[in-house]
Amino acid sequence: MVLPPNVSQADFNAALNEFRSAVEPSWVFSSDEDVALYRDSYSINWGEPDERVASAAVAPAKVEEVQQIVRTANRYRIPLYPISTGRNLTYGGSAPNMRGSVVVDLKRMNRVLEVDEKRAFALVEPGVSYFDLYHYIRERNLKVMLDVPDPGWGSPMGNSLDHGAGYTMAAFRDHFGAHCGMEVVTPDGELIRTGMGAVPNADSWQDFHYGAGPNVDGLFAQSNFGIVTKMGFWLMPMPEAFLTGTVTAPRHQDLEALVYEVSYLEDLGLTGMPQYGSPVGRGAFGPGAAAMASLMQNGWPSAEAIENFVTAQKRPAWSVQLYFYGPEETVRATWQAAKRRIGKAIAGATFQDGEFMTLPIPKENEPTQSDKPRLGIPALEVFNMVARNQGNANDPSDGHADLFVTIPRKASALFEAARVLYETYKELGMPAQGNPFPTPFTYYSRCFWTGTTVPTWRDPEKNARSRAIFEKVINRCAEHGWVGYRTSPAFQDLLISKYSFNNHALLRFQEKLKDSIDPNGIISPGRYGIWPASMRKNRA
Amino acid sequence: MRRTLFLLLVIGSGNFLLAQKPSETNGKVVFDKWCAPCHGAVAPKNVMFGTGALAGTSALAVKYKGKLPAVLEQRTDLTSVMIKSVVRHGLFGMPITRKTEVSDAELEDVVAYLTRNRKK
Repeated sequence: MVLPPNVSQADFNAALNEFRSAVEPSWVFSSDEDVALYRDSYSINWGEPDERVASAAVAPAKVEEVQQIVRTANRYRIPLYPISTGRNLTYGGSAPNMRGSVVVDLKRMNRVLEVDEKRAFALVEPGVSYFDLYHYIRERNLKVMLDVPDPGWGSPMGNSLDHGAGYTMAAFRDHFGAHCGMEVVTPDGELIRTGMGAVPNADSWQDFHYGAGPNVDGLFAQSNFGIVTKMGFWLMPMPEAFLTGTVTAPRHQDLEALVYEVSYLEDLGLTGMPQYGSPVGRGAFGPGAAAMASLMQNGWPSAEAIENFVTAQKRPAWSVQLYFYGPEETVRATWQAAKRRIGKAIAGATFQDGEFMTLPIPKENEPTQSDKPRLGIPALEVFNMVARNQGNANDPSDGHADLFVTIPRKASALFEAARVLYETYKELGMPAQGNPFPTPFTYYSRCFWTGTTVPTWRDPEKNARSRAIFEKVINRCAEHGWVGYRTSPAFQDLLISKYSFNNHALLRFQEKLKDSIDPNGIISPGRYGIWPASMRKNRA
Repeated sequence: MRRTLFLLLVIGSGNFLLAQKPSETNGKVVFDKWCAPCHGAVAPKNVMFGTGALAGTSALAVKYKGKLPAVLEQRTDLTSVMIKSVVRHGLFGMPITRKTEVSDAELEDVVAYLTRNRKK
């Protein structure tokens, strides 16, 4: 058994007994077998001394129970780590940030409290998954569409609090940005509601997110200032129709204009998340593999060599798929406008009409529907990407860790980042990663994300190699101002150290808040680099 | 009074029996919620980051190369120990499932469902 740091066995036992009074005893997990269920399945430190394992877990069903747990934790200085559905894989899963913490498993708080289709919002508890909320809406035939991330077993609350994102319109796929109103148990056991929820007789908690005075909601995301127990979300009214269209641009240099035109559509709220691709770049894994290897054989090629390569391949350098939501008249008109603008801006651009469908799709069509998240339908199909497949048939990984860094929304930054990642892998003596045809992630409409994924294992030697790559990529990207937006607990201190303007003034401000709000340091010590004073390391 | 007592006893014993005997029917419900999104039989043609197939089903197809069914519900060789071990410990990309998600009783139901056709 692991104990929390600086807590005696007697105090720990006393705290567990108080937890058993707060919730039914069967919902306090302290046996080795039960506590092991809270290990991070994708841990990059699996089986090593610094694997972030829990000392126990407690699963409340009501907010009053959460308050009691927090008060007990203060009495005995027990570090707590709240999880919602605990499925934040690659970012810690159900394991705590700090070894020895007690996981507060909020999965049993699983009520959909309200979905209002006319005002288009939902109010949920932490343990509600995207699957749960989707079924609630579908069973009642409510005319709203969810915006879901790739793994549907996640929690709308947990995903938004870790700045997760989905696929539909920009206003909804920024999941934290689309929230409206929170209820939070603060580290002293007090209960607060934000925005209009602070007005006792207001019926507009999910209608207006600011209320008056400082807006504190952001303090409860990627942080350790409280345990969120309810959260509202704005939903997209169910569009009448969905239409896709694919654009191609012939030359490598066309990406700059393509990005501008697609961003124009995005910023006007006319398309959902654009999916960039490169028909030529994809050739690196198919019939064009030999040609791509030839292009890269002497290192990063010149602009002229790249354009000659594209011409010889007789395929477009770029593609982008656009997704339109709305009445049939407007989605068709928007696609026409996109064709007109892009056709004028990029000589030789091509356009292919894609799928058109009326929404919602029939229930019986759901199992075979491709790209479900684009239609707000939760799924787990993304895991097909990392599961055992023909490429790793004899040695599938046990998980993965992702690093997506934020770069400016422009082609030149994307090319520069691709080249730096390529050179970083070369320096590590690893097989070359990437080529001059990178495609950005556009989950957040105003920036690009690019980065890398490393496998994780239940094998310390293999994990050590993955950690070395991950740290090198974090450090090298940061030299260029490209820093991740989230990461697994093993790298959060390193990541946050890169947000260092004015001698880490932002983190020092957060630490002052921490010392004031949570003087005993009981909530999620170390989350995103914020440590209680008693555990704070000397910063260089 | 005697009638009420009798009813309570009957209801009570029913619950007792239900608690003791795993339910294949509920096992199917739990399987559909927690397992089928990766281990189901029906998949779309395309998914966002790969070819169409569910992660668990396609992984098992690669692993068994046709020697065993890739769809768990078609298997006749699964055992209670095997099912519980994979659910509670995870396997490759499949994560650990906690008791707040699938309780021990529900896991027994899943075992009953997935071993219903087990060859004796």
